[in-house]
Amino acid sequence: MIKLIEKIEGEAKLNFSFKDEKIDFVTIEFMSTRNIENILKGKHALDALVINPRVCGICGHAHLIATVQALEDCYEDLKISNKAKIIRELTLNFELIQNHFKWFYLTLLPLFGHKQQVLKATYPSQLMAKAIALFGGQYPHTSYTIVGGVVCEPTEMDIIKLNHYIDETIRFFENNLVKTDSNSFLLSDKIDKFLEYEGDLITILQQIKEDDMLALGKSYDRFISFGENSYFKKAKSIKTKVNDSVSIEYVKESDIPSSFAKSVTFKENYYEVGPLARAMINKAALVKDSHRKYGDSIFSRILARVCETSQLLAHSKKLLERLDLSEPSYINPNVDISKINGSGTSAVEAARGSLIHKVELQNGIIQNYEIITPTQWNLSGGTKKKQGVSQKAMIGLSDTKTAELVFKTFDVCSVCTTH
Amino acid sequence: MIKLLWLSGITCNANTHSFLNYPFIEQFLNDFEFIYHPVLDSSYTLQEIVSNEIECDVLLIEGSISPEFQRADVSIEDIIRKYAPKVQKIVTVGTCATFGGIFSQSDYKDVTGLHFDKEQKNQKFENLFDKTISISGCPIHPEILVNTLYAIKGDIALRLDNFLRPKEFYAYTVHNGCVRNEYFEYKVDAHQFGELEGCMFYDHGCQAPFTHASCNKILWNEVNSKTRVGLPCFGCTEPTFPKANLFTTKKNMGVPENLPLGVGKRVYLTLAGITKAFKIPRLEKKLLDD
Ligand code: SF4
Ligand code: SF4
Repeated sequence: MIKLIEKIEGEAKLNFSFKDEKIDFVTIEFMSTRNIENILKGKHALDALVINPRVCGICGHAHLIATVQALEDCYEDLKISNKAKIIRELTLNFELIQNHFKWFYLTLLPLFGHKQQVLKATYPSQLMAKAIALFGGQYPHTSYTIVGGVVCEPTEMDIIKLNHYIDETIRFFENNLVKTDSNSFLLSDKIDKFLEYEGDLITILQQIKEDDMLALGKSYDRFISFGENSYFKKAKSIKTKVNDSVSIEYVKESDIPSSFAKSVTFKENYYEVGPLARAMINKAALVKDSHRKYGDSIFSRILARVCETSQLLAHSKKLLERLDLSEPSYINPNVDISKINGSGTSAVEAARGSLIHKVELQNGIIQNYEIITPTQWNLSGGTKKKQGVSQKAMIGLSDTKTAELVFKTFDVCSVCTTH
Repeated sequence: MIKLLWLSGITCNANTHSFLNYPFIEQFLNDFEFIYHPVLDSSYTLQEIVSNEIECDVLLIEGSISPEFQRADVSIEDIIRKYAPKVQKIVTVGTCATFGGIFSQSDYKDVTGLHFDKEQKNQKFENLFDKTISISGCPIHPEILVNTLYAIKGDIALRLDNFLRPKEFYAYTVHNGCVRNEYFEYKVDAHQFGELEGCMFYDHGCQAPFTHASCNKILWNEVNSKTRVGLPCFGCTEPTFPKANLFTTKKNMGVPENLPLGVGKRVYLTLAGITKAFKIPRLEKKLLDD
């Protein structure tokens, strides 16, 4: 039975086969590809900074950051100011935060039989877009960070404004998602106690409990994350065992015959990426307690995404304290990019998980470009013998509606997948 | 209530998300009904849209068009052919839908905008030309799209340029309203990235003086614009987007190849000669220094 899954930044087809009234296998098909990697070939390296945000209208900023870091990795020693690094991390955080709000209020609520809450999605995400625009000029589709730093020169007045955007977003979170002050929320470490709060997140989590859905959506319990910054770590977690010896070298892409998307593995295994993976690696107390009780189920996955929103808001405030405006925003690279021969790799944590870019340059011209997107990790299609992460999470369910719910808790992005 | 159908071609969805940045979205959703939208809850599913004929007043097309491209297993051209004759107006949302944009370089066959293949007019949907309004931009500015839809709703006659773009928004150049104007006017050509000072026209590829758009008049996200922060305008509202070497100004014998709209080379050189003869200390120093 084929089901068209809509409103996942495009569509995908899930082809279910049933045995004894249970889903026995499912293939995931994406019906198109734009082949951005090909578009990039032969282009001037810096033009990738303009082209790549256009991989995706919802997480294009992560693609920008991944691009600039891949290009900078082609240099032997390039100096970037701390200030530029912090600004890049901030704007990336803001994109993650706004994606999470949109996912919760636009994608998730309807799956639980509630009406979409458009204003609750757009109000905080517009604030975060404004925060990006302070540095980037606009959102979506800025190219404000370039090889050597960032183009903007924020002033103290911009920072005052920025603090207001962040504070207002925190207030929104506290008034809606989990009704408590963020400090007590961030200190929560017992899921049962946490459920005594009120708020939109709690409503959904309670509903999962009451409707007997706690065991839904479990997969391999195997997580990975490649992006590194002052908040995220590069590591994997097998169940709760965290190990930081992961190298992009072992990441492999392969074709899926039925689909335009490509599978991706680490040392031949499928891994879950995204907020739950990051929380497991960061040992976020509340998510860990949920995981201890309910495993890598939809419950933990939803909780992790929303918790991350609050954590990133708090972390952004801390980052801002470290920002020294007297440092240079941009340091002219010692070698012009048109003289650069070499290759570069980058990994950043986008809203949905690890995003990897690889570039090869010859005299500053792009010879080859490879993009591996987060959704590819979670939606890699395997065979019956070796199922992908989301495939495994859907097997054994008795109806396609529940399967769609499980599928969408991975926050699927079709346009990214079909770059 | 005006019924809208938001149809996506080959796209990155940024117009969809840019639209969600419209500050008074609730008001908008009270005044318009989406029979289908790629993100917002709508009256019908995509599957229902492509397999039935649902009543609709305005067709919004996002993304470029190729005869090969399908949505829910139906060719995008067939979906357009089904809905276009019935609607009152068609709006091409973004540069891809208007001119082909970046995805005209994708692997699909014959990728174009609805009526234009870059500057060239297409014959294919010529019968729809008179009912189309182009809102170009990569992505669209939410206010420009929304206000155009209100103009359609209120039966306000919009004056359009040759590419069917409303002049109220596209008669301006992006250069109008940039905070770096003085550096442009007096030809202070020492721009460095990461600074408040300087104009990107002379070295860093700013296309604002010859790009039709209101980015410095109707600010992005209500706060800013590319050129204000120090990023060149890449000309994303124009049929030529994206050009190559976007961070450098192409020059012939020291003169920028593309001059401000309507300014001939002789005028430009004469003015440049005069301004070069003066030194304006205020523009030579850092803006915030003593
Ligand atoms: S930077 Fe661009 S928009 Fe600003 S003044 Fe210079 S040419 Fe005009
Ligand atoms: S400033 Fe230029 S590139 Fe940026 S949005 Fe406006 S027209 Fe497009």
